[in-house]
Amino acid sequence: MSSLELVVFKLGEEEYGIEIGFAQEIIRIPKQITKMPDMPSYIEGVIDLRGRVIPIIDLKIKFGFEQTERSVDSRLLILDLENSLLGIIVNDVSEVIKIKEQAIEIFSAEISGLSGNRIQGIARIDQRLILLLNGLKMKSEVLMK
Amino acid sequence: MIALAGIESCKILAEFLANLIPGGVVFGLVDKDEFVWVKASDTFTIDFFTVGNKLSDDTTTMCAIHEKKVITQDIPRTVYGKRVSIISIPVIDDNSEVVGALTIAFPKLHPVAAAFEDFAPILAEMFHEGAFLYMSDLTKIAYRQPSEKFDMPTISVGYELDKTDIAYRVIHSRQPIIEEVDASRYGEPLNIANYPLYDDDNRNIVATLGIVTPKKTAVTLREMSGNLENSLEGIAAAIQQLAASATVIHSNEELLNSDINEIINISEQINEISAFIKEIADETKMLGLNAAIEAARAGDAGRGFGVVAEEIRNLSAQSKSTVPKIKQLTDIIKKKVSEASEKSVRSLDASQGQAAASEEITASIEEITTMSEELSNIAKTL
Repeated sequence: MSSLELVVFKLGEEEYGIEIGFAQEIIRIPKQITKMPDMPSYIEGVIDLRGRVIPIIDLKIKFGFEQTERSVDSRLLILDLENSLLGIIVNDVSEVIKIKEQAIEIFSAEISGLSGNRIQGIARIDQRLILLLNGLKMKSEVLMK
Repeated sequence: MIALAGIESCKILAEFLANLIPGGVVFGLVDKDEFVWVKASDTFTIDFFTVGNKLSDDTTTMCAIHEKKVITQDIPRTVYGKRVSIISIPVIDDNSEVVGALTIAFPKLHPVAAAFEDFAPILAEMFHEGAFLYMSDLTKIAYRQPSEKFDMPTISVGYELDKTDIAYRVIHSRQPIIEEVDASRYGEPLNIANYPLYDDDNRNIVATLGIVTPKKTAVTLREMSGNLENSLEGIAAAIQQLAASATVIHSNEELLNSDINEIINISEQINEISAFIKEIADETKMLGLNAAIEAARAGDAGRGFGVVAEEIRNLSAQSKSTVPKIKQLTDIIKKKVSEASEKSVRSLDASQGQAAASEEITASIEEITTMSEELSNIAKTL
């Protein structure tokens, strides 16, 4: 019985999870984010992380949510999408959890298609529902457009 | 002068007159130098006027016989034991030779003494608390008149004056005396006024007239006003204490207020510290999460490290959970402290009101004190 490790974070009130393999690290949102011209509004800019330039996106804008204020708990989650680094701004990184694969409900292609295949399924833990982000889809959507 | 032939008529007349003359009288008939007939009234006698007694040449009667004329003389107390006036009328025979004399003696009485029985009973009743009137001669009490409300039973007619008596002092100082006598002497406080009475030619003191009035009301009034003053002093002292404690309350409340502000500051500082704890907890949490990610990326080799990462995250969660508790406590502290501050402001107001009220009372007390002093002064003049 295989299990899955997820990094769980919040976007607004909802909890999202991404496979830990896609996560590289969590840092505070740097004060200095370099804006770039002529970019979609969800691209915040780029930062320099230990010598590597990493694009930063605001997932909430990307997902069409209402913009909320960033708080002291807001973090930058650096993802490693098959050697491409990408920073996403999240409200709070709550935990790293291990769940059994049975706890994950994989959406049918139709439902998944409605969300542009960004969400590959939903994990149910007690009363919580954690939306499972598709890391590979994210890479193609954000970095290969 | 009286003719010898008319002497029997005179004797008959004298028998009738003896008890009609107010104050009394003594008639004596002298043949040559010897009393041969004496008639005295019931109320007045002179021992020397006795049939058979011989008269010396210096007596009024013998002077009248020798000088062949009527002689009137006032005889001092030293001669017969009482003051008397004596009139001697020579008696002559048919040859105009003086053979003897008719001598008449009256008691010599001061007009005030003579009238005492008339005025004293009326006057005694004219005083609010009653009065006791008396007259003394030079050595003892001669007349006394109590009133319905007031009497001095120890002062009886015949009472011998001693040098502590006011009448005695009046006689010897020749000055009127008005004096207060406290209760130690006669059992109650008295006012005694005594005046000297002089003889006809205003030379010699012959008697004194005294009025004794009780001073109960005046003394009671004075005592009351004294008590009033004492009570007022007590009240004034109590009020001063009250005002002093109001001042103490005032300064205490001010200290309390500054203490309260300090407590508010301290709870702010606690909040700052708890914010710092939250920051550390956040940092620790991030460290734990990153450690977990790192452990996952290391695969099986990172498994042990993953456990440590888990512990770190637990620790961070625990630390962070203390933050809202601390916040809750400091909020309660602030709320309680501001309530206390409100109360202290209110009691500050109240204590100021108290100070103002006690000032008003002090002013009133001063007024009453002044009035009671006036009252006391009035009581002293009564």
